[in-house]
Amino acid sequence: MALAAPKETYAGRVFEVTIGTSKTAVFGGENVLPFHKFDGDTPHKPVIAFEIQDVAPEDWPDTVKEVYGDAASDPVKWALYCQNNLNAQAIALRLISTHPDRENRSADDAAKTVKAVLDSIEVPLIILGSNNVEKDATVLVAAAEAASSRNCVIGKAQEGNYKTISAAAMAQNHKLIAMSDLDINLSKQLGILITQMGFEKERMIADPMCSALGYGLEYTYSVMERIRLAALTQNDVIMQPPMLADIGMYVWKVKETQASEADLPKWGSLKERGIAWEAVTAGAMLLAGAELLIMRHPDAVRSVQKFIEEF
Amino acid sequence: MLIIGEKLSIIAKRVREAMLNRDKSPIQEIATAQWKAGSGMIDANIGPAEDNGEDLMQWMVTTIQEVVPLPVCLDTTNFKAIESGLKVHNNQWGKPLINSTSNDPERFPILELAVKHNCQIIGLTVGKGGLPADAEERSSIAAEIMGRAMEYGLPLEDLYLDPLVLQIATSQDHAIQVIRAVKMFQEMNEPPMKTVVGLSNISNGCPKHVRPILNKHFFVMLMNAGLTAAIADANEIAEAMKEKQQIDDVLAGKTIDDAAKIAETKKTIDVITGKTLYAHSYLEM
Amino acid sequence: MALSGVEIFKLLPKTNCKKCGHPTCLAFAMKLAQRQASLDACPDVSEEAKRKLGEASAPPFRPITMGAGNSVVNMGEETVLFRHEKKFVNPCALAVEVKDTDSEESIKAAVDALRDSELERVGQKLRIDAIFIKEVSGDPAKFSQTVLSISAQAPDMPLIISTTNPAAAEAALEKIPGTRPVLYGANESNAEAMAETAKKHKVILGVYAANLDALSELTEKIKATGVEDMVIDSGARTAGDILRDNTFIRRAAIKKSVKSVGYPVISFAQRDDHMLEALVASLCIAKYSSIVVLSSIEKWKSLALFTLRQNIYTDPQVPMQVEQKIYSIGEAGADAPLMITTNFSLTFFIVSGEVENSKVPARLAVMDSEGLSVLTAWAAGKFTASKIAQFIQESGIEKEISKKELIIPGYVSILSGAIEEKLPGWKVVVGPREANALPAFLKTMN
Repeated sequence: MALAAPKETYAGRVFEVTIGTSKTAVFGGENVLPFHKFDGDTPHKPVIAFEIQDVAPEDWPDTVKEVYGDAASDPVKWALYCQNNLNAQAIALRLISTHPDRENRSADDAAKTVKAVLDSIEVPLIILGSNNVEKDATVLVAAAEAASSRNCVIGKAQEGNYKTISAAAMAQNHKLIAMSDLDINLSKQLGILITQMGFEKERMIADPMCSALGYGLEYTYSVMERIRLAALTQNDVIMQPPMLADIGMYVWKVKETQASEADLPKWGSLKERGIAWEAVTAGAMLLAGAELLIMRHPDAVRSVQKFIEEF
Repeated sequence: MLIIGEKLSIIAKRVREAMLNRDKSPIQEIATAQWKAGSGMIDANIGPAEDNGEDLMQWMVTTIQEVVPLPVCLDTTNFKAIESGLKVHNNQWGKPLINSTSNDPERFPILELAVKHNCQIIGLTVGKGGLPADAEERSSIAAEIMGRAMEYGLPLEDLYLDPLVLQIATSQDHAIQVIRAVKMFQEMNEPPMKTVVGLSNISNGCPKHVRPILNKHFFVMLMNAGLTAAIADANEIAEAMKEKQQIDDVLAGKTIDDAAKIAETKKTIDVITGKTLYAHSYLEM
Repeated sequence: MALSGVEIFKLLPKTNCKKCGHPTCLAFAMKLAQRQASLDACPDVSEEAKRKLGEASAPPFRPITMGAGNSVVNMGEETVLFRHEKKFVNPCALAVEVKDTDSEESIKAAVDALRDSELERVGQKLRIDAIFIKEVSGDPAKFSQTVLSISAQAPDMPLIISTTNPAAAEAALEKIPGTRPVLYGANESNAEAMAETAKKHKVILGVYAANLDALSELTEKIKATGVEDMVIDSGARTAGDILRDNTFIRRAAIKKSVKSVGYPVISFAQRDDHMLEALVASLCIAKYSSIVVLSSIEKWKSLALFTLRQNIYTDPQVPMQVEQKIYSIGEAGADAPLMITTNFSLTFFIVSGEVENSKVPARLAVMDSEGLSVLTAWAAGKFTASKIAQFIQESGIEKEISKKELIIPGYVSILSGAIEEKLPGWKVVVGPREANALPAFLKTMN
């Protein structure tokens, strides 16, 4: 007997988000589960942003550092390298040096870096703080102002600082990343609080908190799947922003991307292992529903892009 | 419906301090209030009570029964504490209830206590490691507990099956499974099995103003499913009973006058049944 | 339509004889309803009940076991589309492809690599699960020789014998009796002969068709000849096609009870680009394949895929646990602070992540509490003062640290006095309730 294709249609749709000005990137817009184009519309492919930092990446493993070499010594050079040599669709600038435990650079310094990078690149920019709740509240406000009119993504607004950060993103017409602890209900709650500030839900990007392969990945995977199902089946508008997976920072600190083959012969080549760790983590996040990825290793990015092309 | 007054728990600071200092008056005050509000039994939750658990449980049982003519629900994982509490329990006000046995082998011996002292016992439908995924798994565990109860010689009418209420803030999908389990448990015996829930756990972790709203609606839905007993705040149950007609009307799709009330009830029912995703501010959406 | 436990119970003898291994007929009925027991276990069930229950209790995906030795692969039995609903049951098997035209040395190298692929992760022994032997030579004798030689080199390893030539299949299967391999290669033109061979040798038949429609018709035709155990291949090779067909198969079997596709799926991920191959295999693991065939074994690839498979197939109801021990975070010297928490893996990941963020070297004592979070573990009597004290004492950590001070989670501040009583000479410090307050807390400790 012929098989009637059991297609699914849903009430809801993920918001379509455009970032950048001269060159733009668009993601979201689907009314089906990830890559389920056989069920409905998947107008845009996921977008991958290359992560760069405002200081040289001393704390990154050698296998990633050596790819960038001298380019990573300066954020403008680094950004241009990603844009021109690696064909980055977008760049994610992490203002890590503003962290009080690191160089503790000022919000003004951060704003200058943002401006310098924006002045030199055409692709969209994602501006990330150092993940220090208090400091980000000042750094990201200054950064949002410095990036005025460039339609950037500002992140990450968290429970402890969303008011100031979302106000700044709203005033300067940026998109906003809302990051909650790894919990679907807290993700919704933060979305409600931010929209209650008057921030449009159509300009939000949800970060339900990423995790690396082997280190809680299954929690992120299921939270993302459930968020996407709530957006589609329950038509829950708070759950309809596209999702971000901030992969590099979680992947490149785990043992599997650091331990040498000499120490752990059973684990095989460190170079491929690190790239595979980032690529497979990214692949799983895509299948769970992430539309925007932040990654570090160009080879991992290339493989994930080839993978996306197969759908 | 049997209400087991729940306010005497070691988790509450005031109660904990009273327990530590063996200060009778807060305990008796709370027990009396629960009795006056309609409780038919008083829950005494002393936690794992590793140290002096036996002493503490005896003191709790006698302290409560000094002022309230009700049986006590002995709520602890500590076997010896339960046994010593049972020794001083005044049975003229009804059989005591042990909270609880389960499918965890560590908790099997507690069943023996119930038989030996001729009292009632709660069978919590969880096993060792891992929570039941749905009503079916809960029923499967319930059947094993029932089988074990029969082996030990406990009459099934002395067993209350507890489907384990989880927090809606973190385990929303379970709310509807608990309601389904309460229905399924009853079908598992003739006469129907008795059922009990720890009601307020549903709203544990929710904002203060949301908690009573969730508790009351969940209670009405469980009551409609045939629940026999609830460990709950009797004051809150009294309020739920006042609102029951209204909630039932909304459940049945009838229109009632109070628009705000309809919205609150509809949203809460949708959250309990899993039609909308829970968030702390769900009432504001 | 599935029957409820109580409905099944009504069809059972109600003798509570315990011959099925369950205390009562009711308990057995509940297990049947969950598809966690087989009706065969009841010796006294009536024919009528058997008929009614047989139909109702057939799982949406037929359970099939490949291999016969110590390392069999269980497949099928899945009941959901998303892992948060209920545990995915049988982890996707990883198979590596060899060809009968490969040189002896390269086959030997592949078998060696396979043996060497075993590694341990979070307490589980993992390795490549099966060998896919493909007939390319067109020569039944050569093919059967290759199969025999691999079987002799790896006697316990489940085999998938791939050929579309029934004569080659016959020749190969004769050499490896009783090993219960998969015979992959039945298609529209050879179905009858392949089905006969599969029946004769009692093997699992791998069925290929160019699309789902044709596949569904072909499995029905084959089933009518008496072959029950099949694995199916809809011809999907790109990631997009694999996702589509596997999703349709899973939906059809579970939501529409379509029996003709209720079989384990075999997928092919081979790519020249091995990083891409790892990604396509990841898709197969996450999205419903029961076997995925790879072109090669590389240790880095195996490690990543084993880990993903472990993650995806974790029971969402059973909290993942980390090993009980005292973990050092950063260069923890003798004066580094010592904290304790439960072994719920998410608790561990979050707490250790925050400690890392703080850049304060520290020790984290992780205590076995059956994977419960702090407050739940305390209430369940698994994270109590005496158990904490016993763990700290037995760990011998006392000898490695300069001040005997233990930081406990804020949620169990109530335990501080009791722990001090049971750990003479120790000071207990109450830490924050939530992990995100740890960096600030640890800095004030310094």
